[in-house]
Amino acid sequence: MKMRLSQMLISFAITVALLIGLEIVTSTVMPVFGWKEYRLTFNVLIILFLAIRMDSPGVPWMILGLQMVHSIFSIEGWALGTLAGVIVMLSANYLKELLHLTTAFMTMLVVQFFQVIWFITVTLVICLKIGDFEKFGLIAGSFIPGSIFLSVISPILFWMLSLIWKVPSSGGHHGVEI
Amino acid sequence: MKLINESSKTKIVNNLIVAILAVYGISQKRFNMGEPTLFNALVTEIIAPVQEGIASSKKNVSSLWENYLMIVNTSKENTVLKKQISRLGSDLTSMEEIRKENLRLKQLLNFSDGISPQRVLAQVVGWDSANEFKVIRLNKGSSQGIKVMSPVITDHGLVGYVYRVTENYSDVLTILDQNNRVDVVVERTRTHGIVEGVFNFKCALKYIMRNEPVEVGDKLITAGVGGIYPKGVKVGMITDISKENFGMTLSLEVIPSVDFDKLEEVLVLIPLEEGRGQAQEAAPVPTGPAKETVITEKKS
Repeated sequence: MKMRLSQMLISFAITVALLIGLEIVTSTVMPVFGWKEYRLTFNVLIILFLAIRMDSPGVPWMILGLQMVHSIFSIEGWALGTLAGVIVMLSANYLKELLHLTTAFMTMLVVQFFQVIWFITVTLVICLKIGDFEKFGLIAGSFIPGSIFLSVISPILFWMLSLIWKVPSSGGHHGVEI
Repeated sequence: MKLINESSKTKIVNNLIVAILAVYGISQKRFNMGEPTLFNALVTEIIAPVQEGIASSKKNVSSLWENYLMIVNTSKENTVLKKQISRLGSDLTSMEEIRKENLRLKQLLNFSDGISPQRVLAQVVGWDSANEFKVIRLNKGSSQGIKVMSPVITDHGLVGYVYRVTENYSDVLTILDQNNRVDVVVERTRTHGIVEGVFNFKCALKYIMRNEPVEVGDKLITAGVGGIYPKGVKVGMITDISKENFGMTLSLEVIPSVDFDKLEEVLVLIPLEEGRGQAQEAAPVPTGPAKETVITEKKS
């Protein structure tokens, strides 16, 4: 299925708006209600959707754009997540015949798997940058609870994103080609 | 026969370009000091007011919850009276909040009397959205005189330092963050060490030799070395000491003096030589709780 450029831009704009809303929830609403220790990195989930479900040469640029938006809310910046996103996308491309998000449980499993790839990429780079690999385990401690929660809610968010991007809500790596 | 079609070529080229850009971005990235890009600064100025609005509506939401939602099931006969009571209760809650806020702010101002003549009172409006970083966003920025690397404190102790600033907002790298290292002194023994953020809102005290007589309960204060933090600000307390069978140093756990779970207002200290001009230009007189911008203390 092919998507027109104008439709893609609209879908991307809605996705950016959704990301901003979710980032505000993570950075402000949840801390207001006392949830400060574990953050829900919704940018990862949205990028995973694009990486797993979309089949377009424009996806890396979309990942870059989404990470630029994420950098407003985090000192992590855009570059780390962009690199992780591209690596996840390449992994998803490689494994595309195996990825069938036919059930909610499968979606959760696949999302958790790719979140681990994401985490390893980002944390290795951070540890390299700060020159301290002891931090790897510590960062993992803060990653696990949030990532499990994200995996649990991923079927809902993927369903919403499939409506935005007009792709079938279930299936493998056979999304929209632009 | 073409092994790779046009679409695949475009994909590979795009992936390569974006990956190279990302690697370049990572190589330029510094986790202990940041300079916002124009895009970042612009969008932060647009989005941060929403965060500020949500953060400041906390009191209203909790008041609504306590005073209205919990009494939904009361009898009709008492509805009018209950509403009156809850309205009065709400007023009281608001006044109590204002009273508490006043008290906190007074404590903050008194506390910082001897530390820096120029300070900016700011509210916490958000936290970093990534798990790996412990950064808070404040509702004051460069227009109030805040600079990168300005220390941030409360009356309980050290919060961190300003990591990046936009015109009206600033991000603070707290002492809970693994990228923030604070040079400290054990108050009782005067032993020097470095406090680093670890996990679970706790810190670690590093580079303390095994033969140092430190104990659980010892308080840590800033050493004043490094040019960021003033000397003598409370940092935390040693809560656990573990001696491994190997190594030259102790492994110490530290609980920060500041309760980051309840952090609402902070003071940003503006270094005298840098902040004087701007601070005096800004409004010097506080106009109300958490509304004041820069408080300039005149010293002869």
